[in-house]
Amino acid sequence: MPYLGGEETLRELRRALSNPHVQADPARYRGAVLRVIRLMAQGADVSGLFPEMVKAGAVPDVVQKKLVSFYVRAQAPLQPQLALLAVNSLRKDCAHPSPAVRGLALRTMCGLRMPGIQEYLQQPLVSGLRDKASYVRRAAVLGCAKMVKMQGDCEVDGALVNELYSLLRDQDPIVVVNCLRALEEILKKEGGVVINKPIAHHLLNRMPDLDQWGQSEVLTFLLRYKPRSEDELFDILNLLDSYLKSSSPSVVMAATKLFLVLAREYPDVQADVLVRVKGPLLSACTSESRELCFTALCHVRQILRSLPGHFSSHYKKFFCSYSEPHYIKCQKMEVLCELVNDENVQQVLEELKGYCTDVSVELAQGAIFAIANIARTYTEQCVGILTELLGLQQEHITSAVVRAFRDLAWLCPQCTDAVCQALPGCEDTIQDSEGKQALVWLLGTHGEKIPNAPYVLEDFVENVRSESFPAVKMELLTALLRLFLARPAECQDTLGRLLYFCIESLVSEGDKDVLEVHPDAPVSEEKELLEAHPDAGSLSLIPDVSLSAEQFERSWLSLDTSCQLCLPWAGPVHADTIQTALRVVHIHTIAMSRAGAQPWKAYLSAQDDSGCLFLTELLLQAADSELQVTVKQSEAKPEALQSFISALRTVLEAVAGLES
Amino acid sequence: MIGGLFIYNHKGEVLISRVYRDDIGRNAVDAFRVNVIHARQQVRSPVTNIARTSFFHVKRSNIWLAAVTKQNVNAAMVFEFLYKMCDVMTAYFGKISEENIKNNFVLIYELLDEILDFGYPQNSETGALKTFITQQGIKSQLQTKEEQSQITSQVTGQIGWRREGIKYRRNELFLDVLESVNLLMSPQGQVLSAHVSGRVVMKSYLSGMPECKFGMNDKIVIEKQGKGTADETGKSELGSGKQSIAIDDCTFHQCVRLSKFDSERSISFIPPDGEFELMRYRTTKDIILPFRVIPLVREVGRTKLEVKVVIKSNFKPSLLAQKIEVRIPTPLNTSGVQVICMKGKAKYKASENAIVWKIKRMAGMKESQISAEIELLPTNDKKKWARPPISMNFEVPFAPSGLKVRYLKVFEPKLNYSDHDVIKWVSLQLHSEMSAWPLDAD
Repeated sequence: MPYLGGEETLRELRRALSNPHVQADPARYRGAVLRVIRLMAQGADVSGLFPEMVKAGAVPDVVQKKLVSFYVRAQAPLQPQLALLAVNSLRKDCAHPSPAVRGLALRTMCGLRMPGIQEYLQQPLVSGLRDKASYVRRAAVLGCAKMVKMQGDCEVDGALVNELYSLLRDQDPIVVVNCLRALEEILKKEGGVVINKPIAHHLLNRMPDLDQWGQSEVLTFLLRYKPRSEDELFDILNLLDSYLKSSSPSVVMAATKLFLVLAREYPDVQADVLVRVKGPLLSACTSESRELCFTALCHVRQILRSLPGHFSSHYKKFFCSYSEPHYIKCQKMEVLCELVNDENVQQVLEELKGYCTDVSVELAQGAIFAIANIARTYTEQCVGILTELLGLQQEHITSAVVRAFRDLAWLCPQCTDAVCQALPGCEDTIQDSEGKQALVWLLGTHGEKIPNAPYVLEDFVENVRSESFPAVKMELLTALLRLFLARPAECQDTLGRLLYFCIESLVSEGDKDVLEVHPDAPVSEEKELLEAHPDAGSLSLIPDVSLSAEQFERSWLSLDTSCQLCLPWAGPVHADTIQTALRVVHIHTIAMSRAGAQPWKAYLSAQDDSGCLFLTELLLQAADSELQVTVKQSEAKPEALQSFISALRTVLEAVAGLES
Repeated sequence: MIGGLFIYNHKGEVLISRVYRDDIGRNAVDAFRVNVIHARQQVRSPVTNIARTSFFHVKRSNIWLAAVTKQNVNAAMVFEFLYKMCDVMTAYFGKISEENIKNNFVLIYELLDEILDFGYPQNSETGALKTFITQQGIKSQLQTKEEQSQITSQVTGQIGWRREGIKYRRNELFLDVLESVNLLMSPQGQVLSAHVSGRVVMKSYLSGMPECKFGMNDKIVIEKQGKGTADETGKSELGSGKQSIAIDDCTFHQCVRLSKFDSERSISFIPPDGEFELMRYRTTKDIILPFRVIPLVREVGRTKLEVKVVIKSNFKPSLLAQKIEVRIPTPLNTSGVQVICMKGKAKYKASENAIVWKIKRMAGMKESQISAEIELLPTNDKKKWARPPISMNFEVPFAPSGLKVRYLKVFEPKLNYSDHDVIKWVSLQLHSEMSAWPLDAD
């Protein structure tokens, strides 16, 4: 039922609202107003009832006034003319004997977003600031900020600012804090509220009266104050000392920040502060409120950055418990990695090991990477644990462990032997692309230490046709070539077969030149081939072109088209494959539409050794089975252009052939 | 500060949306729904940044509360504020549920109008709010004078959490200590770590502006007094159990005078009216574990598990533990369970995936055991069972942390009632919760 009956309901409500019998009965009158509000909250258009609603606001009932205020604030921007009606009755309310009504009227008026409201606001606000009830003063102070914000660029009224500064000495703590907030907003252009010595000292003295929100905000404002002397600085720190142990974590954190900033020149004081907030932070980290716990953990990580090992003796506090949400567990594992020292490494690893078998794949892999992180310092133990995990033969665990091993073999060469011993057997469990790549890389790079490496790679080559990840195929080719250099006898046949597969699938002339040499070429020649540039003909493209997208766009627009051609193309585009293939011949991708976009476009750039730029656009229209290629050249060199186009054509045709 | 506050149900429909700042547009409501509530993976962080707007969310049952801001704010403060908001709402209409929120939406908008102004937190104490919030509807003219005096008294009184002029015929004071023990056990049954987190919850129904003093067997206080009278420490060692406890850290309700606590370690306060949490504390040293739980699990083939759990009560034989409930989780593919227990009643609850074992009473230094045969459906699912911890609920007449209430005094300087006239209910009937982890078959 859209809009709950529409016109009919509105008419009925209007009748009810203007019925004198209903108006005489407060309960019925309020009931009608409530129905309007409900309709509004459900998204119905109730703007037609504006005059009736304004009139309903003129009753003594506070509840009804609040409801009407809610309505008026939402509807005023839609009909500014009628809103003036409301302003009149609101101004009357500003002189009401009850402070609750006065405060409400002020808040409502400041909340009306309509042009020209300022002139009506000024006078009630000024008298609101001098009201004897604190409730009204609170609303008036923030009302000033709202008014100035609405005015936009106008000059700020100096008298108003002075009045607000003097209200900083108000009896009511919330008025004081609101004044700070309002001044901050009003004086934004001049750098916010000025905290001079008298104000700072006054605020420090009022701190105990404030509630937690006020305290943490005042502590933030005090960041701006620079004490004149050392004595003053330490007086302030002494005064604020108790807030480091406040029951509210937000106050503790604000106080810590203030201490660290104020004691900028006293590193020992700073260190002392961090020691003192340890307790409150730790209790926040173990608190039941998860979001606060998360916030505290983030703070702990920050502190650990400047004081590594600060929480080491409390490492047990960072053990995960069963019911904690995922994000807390992840943060805790990160913290644990940082806390490890000689004494606790055993326990921490033991605990992390427990998480490796968690049902959540993400968490389990996170734990494995955490162990790998610790392995940079405590290599032996960690590699032992990781090797043990391989025994579980779980797909995601093995994959993560092998990836961790690859990084370790790179970072800590001393553990390579241990890693190599653990590898055999992994190939049966790993299914995902990342894991396979890591395994193949390890087999290729450290193949001389793994007896069965050539045979494992041979299995991969056997199944290369059914391999679905192009990145794995690439890795396989590199790895096998590497291993061939170390153990030529065992690999020659396999490599031959792989190359044959490549030739078969990549009908590429450029690559054929490289590949045809094989399989009977001697090892030395093969080595040369590896180092040679995969260039095409007389053209040699340089490997790294630093061309930003903006530069590309500028050159593209300024140059004329040198050549245009169409290539046959069927089926969808695999952006990754194209990008990788082009990179091999040193043609770089600047930008590319995402897969499946219609029409699909890509922009490529390349540069030869003489500095001539080749800019290319690839365009694939939805209906066509043709890829349109547009090439632009920065210098007119027909010969180089021909070579470039033939290289490009070769690669694209190869990719097209591979996919079809 | 806080630019807007949104409340969603579990489907991501907006129940309440209140925008305080113009820089938060309508699309912020949708951004949070799309990126967090409807996101496929688990929640990555309670703070989410979307297009330079920060969303801070908390979840209560299946309701999402999100605070939105474009500024760099104190995250802890925003979360504390959201908790406060939940507390206030609970105080007004009970549990935070979709139905309650829908029924009370006018009240919630009214609350949001009072506790936040222009995005800045204002007075948020439930007691004080009751004077502004007019959900019940007050006739303005009759009320004006009284209301006025209440509001002005708040200005002069400077106590945000209690209003003046509260009167009760019977002055009553309730104090409850609630503790939960968190236990980490190795598969071999060793206790790896244990900590007690406790709460002291009070309900005060006192007239006027009473001043209360609460004393417990805090180690530092006892030692201080002990220096004066050496006999006392001697005595305490003779007594059973430990006489004082070392509190690792504690936090108090804002009404407690922290300066006095720091200098004299005494807890004195003017209590808010009604229920509130006086303090929270945590101890890790010398925890008395009232029970020992020894789980044994044996896998018999692929479709059968044998579970045996022994509980031993570990306190003086003269004391009684009551309402003991042990919850033993079972695998998800359980098809049937047969249980035999020496004492109490045990039942397999399929809907909760657990065997629930209830014992009415158990004296100290006793032992009881349950054994169960769990039949499993063969599954192809390779995933391991998550093995949730065994948990236990019980009431014992002492606190695992060793906390004791030494005194609770009330002074009211203006009204004529003294400490003796107050009816005090100090309950040391402790609701404890203990969870042991892990239950391991290997």
